[in-house]
Formats: sequence, C-alpha cells, structure tokens
Amino acid sequence: MPAIRPSSKRKAPPDGFSDIEEDLLVFGNKMKDAQNTPTDNIPKHQAQWPIFQISHQRSRYIYELYYEKEAISKKLYEWLLKNGYADAMLIAKWKKQGYEKLCCLRCVQTKETNFNSTCICRVPKAGLKDGQDVQCVSCGCRGCASSD
Amino acid sequence: MLKSTYKPSPGALQPLPPGWTEHKAPTGHTYYYHADTKESTYKRPGAPPSFVPQQPPPINLSDPNVANAFMAQYNAPPLQQHGRGGFGGRGGFQNRPRPQPTDKPRSKVAIPGHDPWILVYTKYGRRFAYNPAKNASYWRIPEKLMPAILELDQARIRRKAGLEDEEEEEEEEEGGGNQRRRRSEYEEVEVTDDEGDGDDDGEGHAKRQRTEEPGADGPVEFTEADIAAQLAAMGADYGDEEMGSDEDWEGEGADPPFSDEDARALFKDLLDDFKINPYSSWEKLMEEGKIIDDARYTVLNTTKARKDAWEEWTRVKILERKAQRATEEKKDPRIPYLAFLQDKATPKLYWPEFRRKYKKEGPMKDPKLADKDRERWYREHNNRLKLPQSTLKSDLKTLLASVPASALNNQSTPDHLPPHVLADLRYISLDPSIRDPFIEAYIQGLGPPPTAEEGGLEEDAATTKAREDRRKRERALQERERVVAEEKRRQEKRLQFERARLRDEERELERAMVVGKKGLQSQLAGERLAERMVIKKEAEDS
Ligand SMILES: [Zn+2]
Ligand SMILES: [Zn+2]
Repeated sequence: MPAIRPSSKRKAPPDGFSDIEEDLLVFGNKMKDAQNTPTDNIPKHQAQWPIFQISHQRSRYIYELYYEKEAISKKLYEWLLKNGYADAMLIAKWKKQGYEKLCCLRCVQTKETNFNSTCICRVPKAGLKDGQDVQCVSCGCRGCASSD
Repeated sequence: MLKSTYKPSPGALQPLPPGWTEHKAPTGHTYYYHADTKESTYKRPGAPPSFVPQQPPPINLSDPNVANAFMAQYNAPPLQQHGRGGFGGRGGFQNRPRPQPTDKPRSKVAIPGHDPWILVYTKYGRRFAYNPAKNASYWRIPEKLMPAILELDQARIRRKAGLEDEEEEEEEEEGGGNQRRRRSEYEEVEVTDDEGDGDDDGEGHAKRQRTEEPGADGPVEFTEADIAAQLAAMGADYGDEEMGSDEDWEGEGADPPFSDEDARALFKDLLDDFKINPYSSWEKLMEEGKIIDDARYTVLNTTKARKDAWEEWTRVKILERKAQRATEEKKDPRIPYLAFLQDKATPKLYWPEFRRKYKKEGPMKDPKLADKDRERWYREHNNRLKLPQSTLKSDLKTLLASVPASALNNQSTPDHLPPHVLADLRYISLDPSIRDPFIEAYIQGLGPPPTAEEGGLEEDAATTKAREDRRKRERALQERERVVAEEKRRQEKRLQFERARLRDEERELERAMVVGKKGLQSQLAGERLAERMVIKKEAEDS
C-alpha cells in the first residue's frame, strides 16, 4: 500500500485526471477517516482492516478504469500508480488467472498467515463447509477466490 | 364496451375539437391525443357519449400509446368497494389483455377458536367463511364467528398501522403446488389448497376487506371439490360490475409495465439528467444517493439490473467523450496550446526563454501552428493577465454570450465547452479556480437547448428518434406513476373505510355485551337475548 505523495512534491497530473479527481478525493477522505478512527476497542489484528479495504477499493477503481473501461490514458494510469493512488503489486496479481479478485497481498504471502498456508479467504466457497463464514485475519476479507 | 362491434359510418364522424389529433397505433387501433394536456383516449373527443370507436379484440397493450389510451378509460375511481388493487408499481397496464372477471380463492385464515372454520379470501378481495368439515361456505359470516374475525381484522389493522415489517413474514408452505414467496404488503399470496390447519394468522391481508356482497341475501354452499369453479362462476355473475373498474389488472406474474429495453433507457436518461460522471464509481453513486428518489430509479427493480445499466451507460459515455475530445483537439490545435499556456505561461519568462524551456512539449511543436502565432498568443496572454479580474470576467462573459444556444445551454457541462470557447484567449485569462465556478453559474442561468424546430437546426434522424423515444418512455412512466398514485389513494380510502367499519362493529359488540350484562339484572332482557341466540342458531343451521 504505497502512500499518496503530497501534491506539493509531484508533477501536475496528466489529462483526464479531472474526470476522476472527485472520486479520488472521496477515497482520500475515507482513508483519512479510517486512519483517524481510534482503534482502542478493536482487536489489534482488525485495526488495519478498513485501511486495507479502502486501499483495495481505490486500486480496483483505477484498475477498472484502465483495464476494463479503457477510460483513462496510460500516462494517467502510470502517474496514478507512481503517486500511490493504486497498488501496482496488487493490480499485477489481478491480471493473473486465479487472482482476479485477490483482496490483498498479505493473503497470498504464506508465512504471515496464522495457518502457515494461503489465507482462508482464498479458499473457494465450494471448498468450504456449507454456510461456513470466513473472515481472514489480515484484511477482513470474507472470500476472494476467483470462482466465487 | 371494449368488445363493441358497433361500427360507425365514417360520415358520422364529427370534426375533432381543437388540440386533438387522431393517431393510429401500430396495432391498428385509432386513438386520440391532445398535445397540450397530454391526454390520450380511445374515445373520439367531442363525440356523443354513446359513440365508441371500433375496438377489435384482443387489444395489444404493448404499445404505450394504446395502453395509455386504454387506461384513460378507467380513470374514474371505482364506485364499489370490493376488489384488490394491483398496487406496487407493476400495474401491468401493458401487454395484458383484460382478464375475465373470474374470482377464485387466493388465501385463507384459520378462524381462531372455531376449528375447523376458515376464512377464505378471494382474488377480488371478497371473503367468505368456510367449514371444511361440513363442506359449507357462507358469504354472510355466521354471527358466532364474528368476534374472532373481528379480532383478526383488528390485529391486521394494527399491523398495518404500526408494524409494517411484520408483513414480510412468509406464509407457511402448503401442499406441493404452492411456491413460497416473499410477501410484501401489496403482493398477493396465492393459496390454492383449501385445507386449513390453523397456523395462518392472516397476515398480509391488509388490503383486502369484506364488502357488501351481492350474494349476501342467502348463504351459498360449495362442495370442497369445486369450490374454485363455483367461485369462478360467481365471479362471472358479477362480471358487469367488475368491468366498470380498473381493478385487478394484475395477475400472477404480471409483465413489468416497461420492456426491459425501455426500463434500461429510462434509467440511463436518469444518469444523463443528473449529469453523473461516467468516470465515477458505482459505489460513490450509491453512497451519494442522489438518484434514488427519482421515479426512474425503480423502473429497473434489482440492484444488479441497475448496476448493469450503469455499467453500459458509463462505457458508452466514456467512448463518446473520448471521441468528442479527440475531434475537438484535431479540429483546433489552438485548444491544447492555449491550455498549455494557461498552465505554464508566466510574465516572468520572455517568449524565447519560454520556448526554450518547453520546446519538447507537444503543444510547442505541433506543426499545425505557426511559431509566430504561438509567440503572439503568449504575449497577448501575459498582457491580459495584468488586466483587472472584473475586466477578465466581463470579457469571458462576452465570449460565452457569443456562443449560440445550440452549443451552450443549461444542458452543457462546464468540463465540456464548445471549441469556440476553448480556443479563445479570453477563456484562459482567468485562473480555473475562479473561471470554472463562474462558467458553471453562467451555464445554469441559460435556457434549455433549442429544439430542432425553433433552432432551425438540422438534426439527424437518429437524434430526433432518440428524443422521441425518450418522450415516449417518459409518458409511459408518468402514466405508471399516475396509476400507482391513484391506487395508493384508493388503498388509503379502503383502509379508512375498513377502520370505520371495524369501529362500528366494535360498538355493536359493546352494545351486545352491555345488553348481556343487563340481561343478568333483568329477566326480561335476558329472555330476549336468549331468544335472539336461538333464532341466530337456527338461521345458521338451516
Ligand atoms: Zn481475501
Ligand atoms: Zn487479504
């Protein structure tokens, strides 16, 4: 999750930025709110969930604009990655078969999970017991297998 | 009257009153339309009331004009009280031939404390008491069941008045033929099985009510086997009366009032009208909730359908914008150059310095522009920057005012101005943070785009058709809204009526109880009461 560069330190955005500026602003505000919400009463591992989720949504937004709708230019897309509006590593995963819906990078980094294997949220619904409700520890994902 | 085969001779036609025009629907039906009042009718305006144009059955209501005209004949509120309404926005006023008025049982309620008696509701909102043990049905509710039924009604009204949510409960599943359906207030629950087992408490019958039954002068008996058929026959008996109202157009699985295509188009019109940014996300659109109060939001009835339509719309819009931008920039190379100037030009740099500094930038080396012009505009722009803001504003206003209404009107978006404006130095003189709100305010103060006729513009056929299609959709929507509002009003009236009736019955029961108490004190009164009970019992058993 790269941090967004402060606007003072970056070059002016390429054309088309104004089309998406407002949405990015909303994401930014949500992120600020999430970061400023006290987490005293929340289990430690859950404290980061909202931040992961907003980061995921923002990356997804940019990913879809560029790859699915072809709504933004390559120049703008690269500028957005460079300035931390989207997670290039996560997007790289989405382009791979089987990872199209991946929630976060932590969930495919085996050693960091509680189970020393791929995160439970990566298990397809079909492979779970009926009605089993899963939520992963790292980002609060409730399932992100491609087949779901 | 729809089935009338009376054909007037053409000579008998009177001229139409002013404003009315005659039209032929694709189905062959003639209808009349009044452009100012937007009224449409099958009945020739100005004709004597007995005159009805030919209506070859069956009527195809898939044409919205035909449907509207057809509906218009049933506008008057019904005189009789009975009947269920097709409220819920799925009035089904299109595509469906008018159903034959055959009544049939729709749902039932066990009458608490009077096993095996059940109360059966019919499709047309009538109800009757039914005793499966005796195979006996009564339109007139037997007296001994009255208190229990009254309680059912009161519980129902209490629910209706206070706790709407409870009506979401599902009805028990019965037999094999009944599908479990989620029940909303206005949804019909069909029960075809006549076996009562006492669990059903009658929820969801809020919109039904007992009515003065034409058959109330004597109990009617059914055998259990052909109860539905008998009811159907009874329904047919009341057919004439049913025809007078616009009730019960909705059957099971009524078609949605719009074609899927129309519904999607209406939803997309909504996105257009709210100037939704096609680059924005669906989540943001939902969070803002701006569009959800618009009637067009619900013409598509699932979130998925709406999201799909939105998705389609965004892709088309994005393509359109891309194409527009590309052609504009192609048309006028000044636009990118001036935009570049606005961004980079500064009085601190002389032209040669500026040119050296940015020589690699696209607008600086565009072969379509002469370097001499680039220099001239650079100087002019820097000179203009020294002018007072008020002058720059009035210059910009003059520029905007020079654009014809066809190119700049209240439908324009500030981020998509005509090239004529973008290619003018006056456009880039003000800082965008001042300029853009100024332009937005200016645009808002403008009138609508001129129509083809007034503007004298040549519209291509596709644009004209798109506009006409849109008008048509909107008329159909208005019609639906009207029908729904009407139905709602009627529902309320019914509810009030029922409340009043229940109050009356309560009072009657209270009176009866008072008489009962007095009866304990007064031998004479007690005897009278006993007498009445005996008479009632005899009447029931006969
Ligand atoms: Zn996951
Ligand atoms: Zn995760």
